[in-house]
Amino acid sequence: MSAAATPVRDPAHQVPVLEVRGLTRYFGGLAAVKDVDLQVPEGAIFGVIGPNGAGKTTLFSMVTGSLAPSAGRVFFRGRDVTGLKAFQRVRLGITRTHQIVRPFRSLTVIENVELATRYGRRPPGTAAEARRRAMEILEFVGLGAQAGLPASVLPVGQQKLLELARALATAPDLLLCDEICGGLTDAETREVMDLLRRIRASGTTILYIEHDMRAVMSVCDRIAVLNFGEKLAEGSPEEIQRNPAVIEAYLGRGAAGVDSDA
Amino acid sequence: MTAAPTGTRTHPPRVTAARDLAAAAVLVAVLAVLPWTEWGNLRLLFTTLIWTTCSIAWNLVGGYAGQVSFGFAVFYGIGAYTAAVLITEAHVNPYLAFAGAALAAAAASLLVGIPTFRLRGPYFAIATIGINEAVRVVMNNMEAVGAASGYRVNEMVGGQRAPFVMAEHYLSMVVIFAVALLVSILVARSRFGLALTAIRDDEDAAADIGINAFQHKLAAHALAAALVGAAGGAYARYAAFIDPGGVFNFNNSVSILLMPVIGGLATVWGPIIGGAVYGIVQEELVARFSQIHLGLYGTLLILAILFEPGGVVGLMRRVWRALTGRRVQGGPVPARGVKA
Ligand SMILES: Nc1ncnc2c1ncn2[C@@H]1O[C@H](COP(=O)(O)OP(=O)(O)O)[C@@H](O)[C@H]1O
Ligand SMILES: [Mg+2]
Repeated sequence: MSAAATPVRDPAHQVPVLEVRGLTRYFGGLAAVKDVDLQVPEGAIFGVIGPNGAGKTTLFSMVTGSLAPSAGRVFFRGRDVTGLKAFQRVRLGITRTHQIVRPFRSLTVIENVELATRYGRRPPGTAAEARRRAMEILEFVGLGAQAGLPASVLPVGQQKLLELARALATAPDLLLCDEICGGLTDAETREVMDLLRRIRASGTTILYIEHDMRAVMSVCDRIAVLNFGEKLAEGSPEEIQRNPAVIEAYLGRGAAGVDSDA
Repeated sequence: MTAAPTGTRTHPPRVTAARDLAAAAVLVAVLAVLPWTEWGNLRLLFTTLIWTTCSIAWNLVGGYAGQVSFGFAVFYGIGAYTAAVLITEAHVNPYLAFAGAALAAAAASLLVGIPTFRLRGPYFAIATIGINEAVRVVMNNMEAVGAASGYRVNEMVGGQRAPFVMAEHYLSMVVIFAVALLVSILVARSRFGLALTAIRDDEDAAADIGINAFQHKLAAHALAAALVGAAGGAYARYAAFIDPGGVFNFNNSVSILLMPVIGGLATVWGPIIGGAVYGIVQEELVARFSQIHLGLYGTLLILAILFEPGGVVGLMRRVWRALTGRRVQGGPVPARGVKA
């Protein structure tokens, strides 16, 4: 696991890839995310965990720009991107996958990925080059054999991999993965963890939401815990596992659910 | 990795485009030589090409991008009036006047699209209905171009009224149709066309891979409006008289929407089949049994949505599959799948 050993440099000495300050989002009276501060250093696989409804996906949507915050700012490599739209942030290098899969159903698997290469951060010069790159990425995530199929016929586990492939195709600098292992077997989950390490090794910083505790603990170098929209704790996997407030709020229930979830 | 199992079901895009381009070239060549043969009723064909051009144009916005417009008569009418005024008042060459008609219609499409494409859901469709009626009412009161009593187109050549040459009107429409067909084929397999399809499938997911949905919808709308505007211009010159109740009629907007739905949405050939069926039925049947058309198209539409949401092209693909057991790539979009 040498790739996972990439050291996380001291955030004090360099600008974090992502910083959010006081990020807040209300839905009516409900604070889905409340006053969250985060700093994600370069090269990290940074986990975001918390019970269902804790605000993890909402946080992602504000980082990528599909949802406007009620308050707070988002900084990407020191630059305030709060006012930018989602498509503009993709071109800067911020891309997400969707917890509830959203393939382009009228397109084939490879067309989904090809399109992402052509609108992403490093658009290829020709259609042939886009197709070649899309095929490489599909093979990387293990969907090479499905390239020509309509995206709509894939089982949900493969649609999650397609989410990952499509996001990778935009050449992200910061990749946000929202529960990509749902619907996968244990062995497949381990393969995806390996993919994440390889993606990080290629220079992409990863922000990672996952329900499967073992997966999160095995792959992340730092973890933030959300509960009722607020950041409850942050630290290394070991620190999080020892944190009494986290055990109380989440692991107490989550630990019991690990086996049935996975 | 072996390439064998991958992409076996898809043709490389260039092959598909080449096949469509070849078919289009044959069709346009046949249409272009018709005036020198004994065959073909040029008036009927002229009208049918106008409808078909509008049908192809609507499909770019309503079929590929999934943005249902009930307002394409606005662009038809603006094209008709622009060409009419340019030809009559400014003595502009009619072909330049058609280009002017296209530009004016494209500009108008931005005025419609900029406020409405930012909204989600049915707002665009609803807004286009209102805009269609508003523009018709305004034109009904626009004294400078004859208001409700209409506008007479007067083309002068060397101080004389230009003679009416049916073959020339017809050929000018063949050219406009050919441009529409070419645009449609190029869009269908381009990055732009794929992005429109992605926007129709899921606009937010499209934004999440870097697609500027607003800008793409505006561009498709402007391209479509330009084609419809040019067709309107050719009609104005041919008819030599236009009025708001004719060219801006809401029925035109509904007809323009019906043709690609009946023929097969988001396909290259569906709108052409729909347009041809409509043009011929309109001239041959409705001329004899007026008032039949609403019931007839209503019935066709319901049949299409209930039994063959892919339209005529979907039906043909299904028959083809049944006969050969093979699948054809890029099937039409079910009509009910379109966000209204
Ligand atoms: N679009 C929305 N409209 C209203 N409420 C929402 C919306 N999205 C999320 N919520 C609410 O915000 C809270 C956080 O949701 P979410 O971010 O999806 O949590 P998580 O991803 O941690 O499970 C939940 O109570 C959820 O019901
Ligand atoms: Mg979630």
